[in-house]
Parts: sequence; structure tokens; C-alpha cells
Amino acid sequence: MKIIPLLVVLLGTSLSVCAQQNPQLYNIPTPFERYSHYQIIARGGAAIPMGPFATGYIDKSTLENYSIAVDWILQKPFSVGLELGHTFFSKRIPRATYNIDGQDISAVQTRTIKLMPLQGVVNLYLGTTNARIRPYLQLAAGGSLVDYTLYYGSLGNQQQSLKFSYGAGVGSKFLFKKDGSIGADIRVKYNQTALNFDYIENGVGQLNATAGLFYRWW
Amino acid sequence: MKYFRYAGFALLLGLIASCTRDPLSDLSPEESQVFITNRDPGANFQQYKTFSILDSVLIIGNQGRGTSLTDMDITFLTSVVRNMQALGYTYVGPRDNPDVGINVAQVRNAYLNVVSQPINPYLGNYWGGFGYGNGFGFGYPATFSYYQTRENYWYLEMIDFKNPDNQNNQFDVIWSAEIRGRGLFDTEYLENMVNSVFDQSNYLRLN
Repeated sequence: MKIIPLLVVLLGTSLSVCAQQNPQLYNIPTPFERYSHYQIIARGGAAIPMGPFATGYIDKSTLENYSIAVDWILQKPFSVGLELGHTFFSKRIPRATYNIDGQDISAVQTRTIKLMPLQGVVNLYLGTTNARIRPYLQLAAGGSLVDYTLYYGSLGNQQQSLKFSYGAGVGSKFLFKKDGSIGADIRVKYNQTALNFDYIENGVGQLNATAGLFYRWW
Repeated sequence: MKYFRYAGFALLLGLIASCTRDPLSDLSPEESQVFITNRDPGANFQQYKTFSILDSVLIIGNQGRGTSLTDMDITFLTSVVRNMQALGYTYVGPRDNPDVGINVAQVRNAYLNVVSQPINPYLGNYWGGFGYGNGFGFGYPATFSYYQTRENYWYLEMIDFKNPDNQNNQFDVIWSAEIRGRGLFDTEYLENMVNSVFDQSNYLRLN
């Protein structure tokens, strides 16, 4: 018989809990705000040669420049992630005579360089997780697989190596809809790859201006 | 859904890794040709007046040896003679004590290579700890990728008959040229190819 008053008390408390929760159903934070979550970004756009690399080897911009990144968005204004990129620069130089080791070589040069950086990335965000526009600052460092191939006519002089590469950028994310999981990404990033070979003495500097799409999930 | 996500990711990675176009796809045969010339820095070309030339084209390399005298070869040799005469040299027969002699050859080589993966050079002496000495490479099973390279190119050399090296019983080569690239055996380009190697060797000109 003691159980009935106990049930009444229990019912009373649960009702009062319901009454408190109901009005706040639309105010509770979304999962993206409550939990750390993941984000995948595909970017593509122009890469512009910079510095000694542009003056000494290739000064022609390329559109063969894209990357894919996976980020872990923390509950602080930070995210950490990995980004794998690909950039291919090339430039044709009309026929000229080069003196190499006492030999005269007359050829059309095709200068190429392919960079495949894999970098660890840290982002500092300026807006809240669910802001429709969320600017960020970015620092990145890692290794880059570099394929330097300089063709004299159809003869290639190739060097492949793994080099240190780092970069810094600014960008912004644009959510397509409130609390959505898909959005756009715009970023400008300067990237430097260490390399000292043949025509390149002071590394490869490039400015990447890219647009991309991201998808986030938790 | 989860698997789609991973599959999409893998697909993108694959695309990134594989997409590189051939940078030479738009190179014409003429643009692909490379003219390489060497000279003996000690040679004074002003001392030579007469020249002679081999009566056929040598075939050398690991694809067999011999001589050849096709219409194309005759065109090539005639063009060499014309260029030498334009530089001021007098053509004489091989038995008339020429100052210099010219050999023209087609080099034909074929090589079989293991595809070099970029990772190999960075290992350095890593495996040295196992007691393998320097000079050890990696052996690849036959199922791995190989590529065959063939090279066919023209080679010219000028031999100094005027100053024989009696000590070593030899005649010195004082000038040589290589013509490489595509379209080398196309009569359309022969004349221009021969002119090019002489044009870039202006030191051969007699005053």
C-alpha cells in the first residue's frame, strides 16, 4: 500500500520535469554545438608561383591544384586535421641553347614540378560552430612528395624527393542552411616547400586560392 | 551511408593521386628534338683545311652493329658535307690525307628497367644494420612493372687526323654531336637537324 504515494510523487516530479523541458525544446544546442565532430573538405582552384621559384623556374599559374582535408572540430574555437594536396606547374620555354658541363644543348624546355603535400592542419575559428559564416586562420606543416622533371625536348631530367612543407592561410566557411551539414569553403593559403635542385635554389613558394565544399557529421 | 562516405573518400584520394596529364603531349616532333654538341676545348679548328666523310652510316648500339646506306642516310651525309663546305672546309677523298674525318652513326639501344618507386632512394643505408653492404639493390619479382626504353639517335663525330696521338696509337675526337627526339628518321626534318648542330658550333667556322 506504501507504493501508491510513492508513484504519485514520482509522477509529480516527472510531470514537472516535462513542463520545464518542453518550452526549451527549440533552444537546446544542436549536436554540432554539443559535440566535437568531423568535417571533410574538397578544395580546388588556382596556384600562383611566388618568390624565387617564380623568377627562377616557373612563373605560370596553374588550375591543376586541389586537395582534400579531414578535420576534427573541437568544442573550442579550434580544429585539427590532415590535408592531402596536389599541384602541378608547367611551363614551356621556346628553343634556346644551354651550356651544361661544357656541352651545348639546343632544346625546347618543358619545366614541370608536381607537389603532393600531406600536412597536419590547425585552424583557429572566429565564429561559433553553427555560425552561417565562420572565418578561420590556418597553419599547416608536413611533408611533400616532389617530382621535379625538366624536359629538354623529349629527354627528361627527373628528381623525386620527399621534402618539408609548411603554410599559412585565411579562409571562411559558409553553411548552406542553418544547422546544416553542407557548406562552401573559400581559402587563400601560402605554401612553401623546401627544395634545392637544379633551377630551384630556394624552395617552392605558391599562393593557393581555392573554393571548396565541405560536409560535416558527428 | 557510412560506407558511401568512405568509398567517396577513397575515390577522391585515388583521383588526386592519379591525375597528371602528360606535359609533353602537345610537343611537335620538331620541338621534341634536342641537339647536343661537344668540343675538345684544347682544339684549334683554324688549323684544319680539308675533311672527308665515311661513305655510309654506322649502326652502333646493343641492337646490332653494321652499316647502312639508304636514301635517308645519303641525304644526311650530303647535308653534312654541304654544311662543312659552308664553314670553309674543302672536301677530299679519304685517301687524300684529310685533316679531319667525320663519322656519322645511328645509335640504337634498348634497355629494360624496373619502375623505380620514389621511396627507394630515401632508404639510404637503412638496411645496412642487417649486415648488407653497400651496392646491394632490391630485386623485384617478374610480376612487378617494367618498362622498356629504346633510344634511336644520330651521332656525329669529327676526328683529328692531322695530329695523331702516336703515344697511345689513336686519333682524337675533337667534336661530336647528338641529335635526339622524335621524327629523327623523317626526311622532312633531316636537313634542319644537320644544319642545327653545325649552326650551334660556330667555332668550327674557318676565317
